[in-house]
Amino acid sequence: MKRKKSTESYLLLFLILLLVMLGIFASDFYSINNLMSTLNYFSYLLIGAIGMNLIIITSNIDVSAGAIVSVVSIAIAFVGKTGVPIYVFLPVGMVVGMVLSLANGLLITKLRIPAMVATLATTQLFNGILPLLVEGSIYDLPASYTALAFKAKLFGIIPASLVMAVVITIIAMLFMKYSRFSKKLYALGNNMQAARLNGINIDKVVIISYVIAGALYAVEATIIATAGQRVTTTMGNGFEMMMIAAVLLGGTSIAGGSGHIYGTVMGALILSIITPAMNYVGLSSDWSDAVIGVIIILAVVVSELSKVSRTKKSVDKAGEVKENA
Amino acid sequence: MLKKRKKNGINFNLALLIILIVIIATIAIANPVFISFDYMMSVVVKNILEIGLLALPVTIIIITAGIDLSVGSIMILSCIAGGLAAKAGGSFLGVVVTLAVGVICGLVNGVIIAKLRISALVTTLATMYLFRGIAKGITAGDSVYSYDFATTMGTTDIGGIPLGLFFYIGLAIVFVLLLHKTAFGVSLYGIGLNPNAAKYSGIKVDKVLISIYAISGAMCALASFFYLGRFTSVKYDVANSLNMKVVTVIIMGGTSILGGIGDMRGTIISTFILAGLNSGLTVLNIPVDMQTVIQGVVLIIALIVYAVVIERAKKNRLIDVSKEKDKEVSANSAE
Repeated sequence: MKRKKSTESYLLLFLILLLVMLGIFASDFYSINNLMSTLNYFSYLLIGAIGMNLIIITSNIDVSAGAIVSVVSIAIAFVGKTGVPIYVFLPVGMVVGMVLSLANGLLITKLRIPAMVATLATTQLFNGILPLLVEGSIYDLPASYTALAFKAKLFGIIPASLVMAVVITIIAMLFMKYSRFSKKLYALGNNMQAARLNGINIDKVVIISYVIAGALYAVEATIIATAGQRVTTTMGNGFEMMMIAAVLLGGTSIAGGSGHIYGTVMGALILSIITPAMNYVGLSSDWSDAVIGVIIILAVVVSELSKVSRTKKSVDKAGEVKENA
Repeated sequence: MLKKRKKNGINFNLALLIILIVIIATIAIANPVFISFDYMMSVVVKNILEIGLLALPVTIIIITAGIDLSVGSIMILSCIAGGLAAKAGGSFLGVVVTLAVGVICGLVNGVIIAKLRISALVTTLATMYLFRGIAKGITAGDSVYSYDFATTMGTTDIGGIPLGLFFYIGLAIVFVLLLHKTAFGVSLYGIGLNPNAAKYSGIKVDKVLISIYAISGAMCALASFFYLGRFTSVKYDVANSLNMKVVTVIIMGGTSILGGIGDMRGTIISTFILAGLNSGLTVLNIPVDMQTVIQGVVLIIALIVYAVVIERAKKNRLIDVSKEKDKEVSANSAE
């Protein structure tokens, strides 16, 4: 096995190092309570990030993810207030998420508006419409509404959100490995024209990737919104950056065409560990955003440098000097 | 760029100007207070001072096919660093630290983007966290208060016109000239359209990129004086959506997010459109949230119009070429 070290392997190394260091210097970190709350955060970050990953692989981006999470949160609170169980309001939320995401996909494909700009515009729409429909927050939600966060626990301890995240991750991994659709995602991200000329319906692929992501945001929103008996209109705002950060940290190139689900898993895990870990090591968690920024930059730089050295080597082998632009 | 636009028979800036006039006229008819001098100066102008100042450098960044999402964070960080320095060592130190922090942050962005070849979106997304995170870290979540210089900048009026407006107009002229009348400006379009071609035609792409991100940082620092002066205290978590608003203004002004196409005058006019919309809707007692929706709708309409217009322009060009070919063919056969 003479495989070149990938970004993911560096990440895994970093993650293991981080966990071991925590074990030595701050064993309190491994207290059940902290572990479970960290894992809960990790779960919903990961679920959203998997959706974001699909989108970024096609060389698009979605900055409206946070706003969609907010809208879906309110939608499920609205439905959940009537006392219906999660089996009812989760699908409703997913439909809402898929419709909103479909709007993004249509703007991007049918009107050829760059994804960054289209989702930026819809972010403002979604964020603006919410407070018009709801006065600040929906509160006094029934106990049946928060059952996911408080009652549903595997073996009485593992949060249901983690189970959901694991199931979704496994499905996503199988999907990315075996489905023909996932190959189209990568083809599209690598070279859109080539993909089109090979008979791939680009618009359809992009739209489907957005719709799947929308459904995943809705699952994320369900976990976030059922954590308490009050749902505000800004619950998911700003969360899109966390999702994008997890995806990029996981080795997916913003240029599209590369990236794996397990990279995103590690990216999300590192991001969700940082803030609580800093607390337990005795550093002020005020610095956690700065640390996250540094980690993203380092991760991207390392993966970029390793890519450059790889192409340089292959160029040397071929015996031709090519300007690497 | 300008010539090309005229050839297509559409003048984007004129269209924007008409939209601006229509908006102002409509609101003024609904509520005449809107066009009173005092209201214009106290509300309309102040509403967009920071957005306007930041949109100028970010326009040239987007023309080079880059983007700067960290502008809000740089503004807050330089604001906070300057405020702390002023508290410790007086106003002058505060000014120096503010400007230094702004430029250094911009340089960090520029060097990572130009030298390490990381995409601008990723870099500034990460530094957006980093700079705001540092601001949070050094203040431990506390507010930073205004000092003499910032207060003067933020609150002085000259003949009823806020000092910031003079700065904005002056800098707007400088940026228009820089982009449209200098070789540097032309090189920016070149980099946006094709960085390799620009490089081989002798443009020092790295240097240009680093300098525009540094300029952006410096403008953030300048804007931070007005911001701190106006609000008297600043916390790390304010002005969160500033970067998105800045990008919105620029896109509305007709600059392509893909780079290579854009006009500083469009950015300036659309800054005033946003100002007119924001404060105009306030005058009409329309809730703040509705304003966000309207902004979003306006942006989407602008995008759709641009998409349709650009598509049509492309088709026209194709038809023109084929017609010319036909002419040539017929001319040849006539011979």
